[in-house]
Amino acid sequence: MKVAIIGVGQTSYGNKKHQSIDELVFEATKKALDDSGLEREEIESVVTAGSDALDGRGISNMVIAGGSGAYLKDEVKVADGGIYGLILGYLRVASGVFDNSLIVSWTKSSEVSTDLVSNLSFEPLYLRSCGLNSITSLALQTSTYIGRADVKDEDAAKVVLKNRENGLKNPLSHPLQKPSIKEINSSRFVSYPLRESYLPPESDGACALVIASKKRAKSLKKNCAWILGLGWVIDEYYAGDLIVETRHGVSLPLLKRSSEMAYKMAGVENPISEIDVAEVSDVTPYHEMMIYEALGFCRDREGKVLIRDGTTKMGGGLPVNPSGGILSSNPIFTSSLVRVAEGALQVMRKAGKRQVKNAKVALAQGFTGMSTQGSCVVILGS
Amino acid sequence: MKDDLIFIAQRWDIEFKHAAGETASTFFKAIMQRREILGRLCPKCKRVLLPPRSFCERCFVETSEWVKVGGEGKIQSFTIVYEKFEGLPPPPYAIAYVLLDGASTAMVNFVKGLDLNNLDQAIKKIKIGAKVKVAFKRKREGRITDFWYELV
Repeated sequence: MKVAIIGVGQTSYGNKKHQSIDELVFEATKKALDDSGLEREEIESVVTAGSDALDGRGISNMVIAGGSGAYLKDEVKVADGGIYGLILGYLRVASGVFDNSLIVSWTKSSEVSTDLVSNLSFEPLYLRSCGLNSITSLALQTSTYIGRADVKDEDAAKVVLKNRENGLKNPLSHPLQKPSIKEINSSRFVSYPLRESYLPPESDGACALVIASKKRAKSLKKNCAWILGLGWVIDEYYAGDLIVETRHGVSLPLLKRSSEMAYKMAGVENPISEIDVAEVSDVTPYHEMMIYEALGFCRDREGKVLIRDGTTKMGGGLPVNPSGGILSSNPIFTSSLVRVAEGALQVMRKAGKRQVKNAKVALAQGFTGMSTQGSCVVILGS
Repeated sequence: MKDDLIFIAQRWDIEFKHAAGETASTFFKAIMQRREILGRLCPKCKRVLLPPRSFCERCFVETSEWVKVGGEGKIQSFTIVYEKFEGLPPPPYAIAYVLLDGASTAMVNFVKGLDLNNLDQAIKKIKIGAKVKVAFKRKREGRITDFWYELV
């Protein structure tokens, strides 16, 4: 059964100290409902996606149940990145059991040391005591990529500049200054080869979507974003299992697999010509280039070419991250759902100043796990 | 209300006693008692898994035997950390995934014995493919930090 995104709601991203966590969820949910044209009473199911450890609250879906509109409804939580909420919501509606679903994800980075939470997220026997957190894990992954793909500092800086320039046109973006290439490339190394300027900000924020069956979506007579394809797959837990193979093979092989699943479902044969806009998880600029390769936008080790020739800039052949991406706003657990929200806004033609002209097909991509072990791809159509 | 907001400071301070189980206990005891690194062999794909596990997730069969791996190997990926992160050691420190001789998977640990204060000098030595050896702590406690890597 076809399913469409009929409503998108986002808070702005940044330090939201004026709102408690449930107020943040309420704001995004209310906006998504208003956008969808449905009343809370008409919502049949709710999927929430948050991290108890980041929230500092156990069973945190109970805390935010009110704000998510779930009162007296069928609510279920995924303890995983927001994009998994969309997948579960999609499956619930596609099954025919529910006519519609509301999906909401939230993160309040400003309330906690996210570095400590990410270190504590590692398994305690073999990994947690080895200097690992999300940033050092991404640095390890990046070192392998630089080694095999001959990517330069300037390429990384161009990705940062592209996304941060895009972010300046996004009224919801975390408030940041536009850096110069020189500033980016002279920024200190936090975890070599990652510089401070290569890392996303830490943002608070919430994002909600309303999805509905074909019948309901058609009855609303409005622009919606049809979910044409989905793919998701999980990698081996120990990053060292795959590293030997990725050193000599493709970057992010599991993302490649999930994109193939989504492309098959959506009937996409030639991604670079059939996809008009992509919102991907640029957790570092190097990851954005790896993602190009895994998604088949270019050949292996040629992600840098799409940055050098401007293909993925606004106005290029396939703009990537017109919203500014994660490098501009990073509500950690929610960032992957924001990719879907932004992709949906593009094909609904509601992306304002960040709108890609004639966007008919959008791709949204999310990660979960410290070394991007979980990969999701969603294809949306107008 | 502008900025005179109230924040409620709280901590999660919970002690856990994580069971290592028989497989990891055997691995840690071999490090502690004999300065040996042991991997587990998958009878189906024939990979020697490090860190050791009682089953192979690819083949979904139980691993069958212990294999002693070499005390040397090659760096597969690395990072040098210059930031003080909450919960992590004081910087600078280096960590690397190393493929030890005879193992099929790389295992992460600290790389020690190298001056990291000058990055340009350090990355001439610590790089992908560089040879390292395993070094053991004198007083071992049955922890992953009982050993580290040193450049050869």
